[in-house]
Amino acid sequence: MGLEIMEDVRMDYVYNLVRGGKREDGRGFLDYREIKLETGVIKRAEGSARVKIGNTEVLVGVKLEPGEPFPDTPDKGVIITNAELVPLASPEFEPGPPNEDSVQLARVVDRGIRGSEAIDLSKLCIEEGEKVWIIFIDIHVLDNDGNLVDAATLGAVASLLETRIPNERYGLTGEDTLDIRDRPVAVTMVEIGGEILVDPSYNEENAAASGLTVISNEDGSISGMQKYWSGSIEEDKIAEMVEIGIEKAGEIRREFLE
Amino acid sequence: MKEDGIELIKDGKRLDGRGFDELRPIKIEVGVLKRADGSCYFELGDNKVIAAVYGPREMHPRHAQDAKMAVLKYRYNMAPFSVEERKRPGPDRRSVEISKISREALEPVILKEYYPKTEIDVYVEILQSDAGTRTAGINAASVALADAGIPMRDLVSSVAVGKIDGEVVLDLNAVEDNNGEADMPIAMIVRRNTITALQMDGRMTKEEFEKGLKLAMNACRRIYELQRTALIERYSEM
Amino acid sequence: MVYKVVIPGDFISDAADRAGEGTYVEDGKVYAIRYGVVDEKEEIKVVPFVGKYMPSKGDVVIGKIIEISFPYWIVDIGSPYEARLHMSEAPADKKIEFGNMHAYLDIDDLMVAKVINIDTLMRIDLRLMEDFQLGGAGRLIEIPHTKVPRIIGRKGSMIKMLKDKCKCFIFVAKNGRIWLKGSEEEMDIASEVILMIANEAHTSGLTDRVAHFLDSYSNKIRKGIER
Repeated sequence: MGLEIMEDVRMDYVYNLVRGGKREDGRGFLDYREIKLETGVIKRAEGSARVKIGNTEVLVGVKLEPGEPFPDTPDKGVIITNAELVPLASPEFEPGPPNEDSVQLARVVDRGIRGSEAIDLSKLCIEEGEKVWIIFIDIHVLDNDGNLVDAATLGAVASLLETRIPNERYGLTGEDTLDIRDRPVAVTMVEIGGEILVDPSYNEENAAASGLTVISNEDGSISGMQKYWSGSIEEDKIAEMVEIGIEKAGEIRREFLE
Repeated sequence: MKEDGIELIKDGKRLDGRGFDELRPIKIEVGVLKRADGSCYFELGDNKVIAAVYGPREMHPRHAQDAKMAVLKYRYNMAPFSVEERKRPGPDRRSVEISKISREALEPVILKEYYPKTEIDVYVEILQSDAGTRTAGINAASVALADAGIPMRDLVSSVAVGKIDGEVVLDLNAVEDNNGEADMPIAMIVRRNTITALQMDGRMTKEEFEKGLKLAMNACRRIYELQRTALIERYSEM
Repeated sequence: MVYKVVIPGDFISDAADRAGEGTYVEDGKVYAIRYGVVDEKEEIKVVPFVGKYMPSKGDVVIGKIIEISFPYWIVDIGSPYEARLHMSEAPADKKIEFGNMHAYLDIDDLMVAKVINIDTLMRIDLRLMEDFQLGGAGRLIEIPHTKVPRIIGRKGSMIKMLKDKCKCFIFVAKNGRIWLKGSEEEMDIASEVILMIANEAHTSGLTDRVAHFLDSYSNKIRKGIER
């Protein structure tokens, strides 16, 4: 919604900094803020992770429950991704049903994981047409200082990697780990004054007219993209962003998901 | 999720006979609704979409007004009968997201600062769906906005590309979309050659993406000509 | 004269110094900002086919009272913004006060007013014109405000012809609302011809067609009056 006056001033500040080749916190245009990943943080969840990217903090929990498959995929498990922008995380977040920002966040994360086929859903069938495992990926944003998508995707994949299938709880037997075949990583960039900035802060997101998330996989293929906000991007810039996104994803994967 | 054994490409042609870079037939009618300030009916193959524009009009509630410019609202809505399995009426997560990215696809061209404190409402109804509805909706909305006399720098044109049976192809229909490997809708300002919406789901390589983007951008140029012709002809008949 | 139809983003001219309403300039070139027809007589303008009326100071408009909110009458003037008329606008002898404003001008009443001020918050102040009350007689028709110049015609030629041949009172306000007063038959013909002008505003030879149309009806009108 409408930005406050203070934010207008800050937007100009960010813009002018970028024009001068700098960022608020002094990092390079293609540098991430410090990333911290901690898994197994929630005992009650089947898998969980807390991700910090700079001040941005996201908690992801994975829960599994037996449930009905979709009619068109009777022998496949189901992934349901949900994001909550709880009011404690930002003065802009309000209580209430999911708004378009939280819906978008959940759907972009979901698309990246689904598109990568990281989870073999056919292994999550309990009884064809009757019962399959439903994987709930819940993203809880604790502190929004920009770039929620990358933090949430990293948290979701890290959670899935350590997820245990709760067979016993439901009187079932079978494999107790998920078969994770890929490690998709999201890299979000914004364009400010013609420059591409990786891992935008909250202020940088507000100063940018447009942004792009590129989710890519171990083999360098792309499994999800989303352009943000009401600016337009040139074809060459998009190609450049895709290039950068794939490269950065490789670095993050090596450091945090192997 | 590919159905077992379904072949989407045979002898270099797609199931509906199209080549890889071929659009489905497009039909555009301008000014189809009486009460709306601007409107457009858009057909893309078996997709039937209608867009209406109301406004600029006074915005309620007042606290949501922007003192400097108009607020653009966009509602993408699927009619319950538009899909094989009845769609439950009302907004779901998918339509919330599509509404958002469609609004953002159009905003770069609209001179919102001409009408402070007002709202411009774009309503897009999907009457019949066969994959590609969001792109058809953006095309229709863009024409309807012009028809409503909204000041704009350009039109916006939109299309999707995707990957089926390992090939990058233009404008997937529902069978292709359901059994394909990737889908990438884009919107663009043709005269400026800039992208205003881009989404991708499924999986493709960087090379396939680049090829797909080119294919989609070329198709947008063709769609733009059709949008323009429809608008020009509306007032040239007399 | 041939009218060139343009859509937003169409290139019109290289003469950036002559760019006027309905256009924008980029890299020294003039482009259309609206869907309409090009008018290059003096400035390069795009006259839109339709569009919401945006009031300017000095415009004479026909408004309708939609709300009474002491000390203002709130007036719909067919624009995205409501206008307001202060109670002091009523003649002093009317003794308007809280609670009886409706006795002077009530909800749904129509009036002719001039826009005297627009502030940065888009608050629009009106002043009543003399003979502002249109009364119960007559008929109000509405056309897109963008067609008003065509109804008036060059130096008032079109409106003069309409008044002469239709024999009825015609008042054209800037916001596209037109007040007619005359016999039913006269008003029917006036409405028909005004809507014809509005619908064909962008076509050439319009004045001749209107004259022809009016002539073919003039006998009928005369007969009507004689009877």
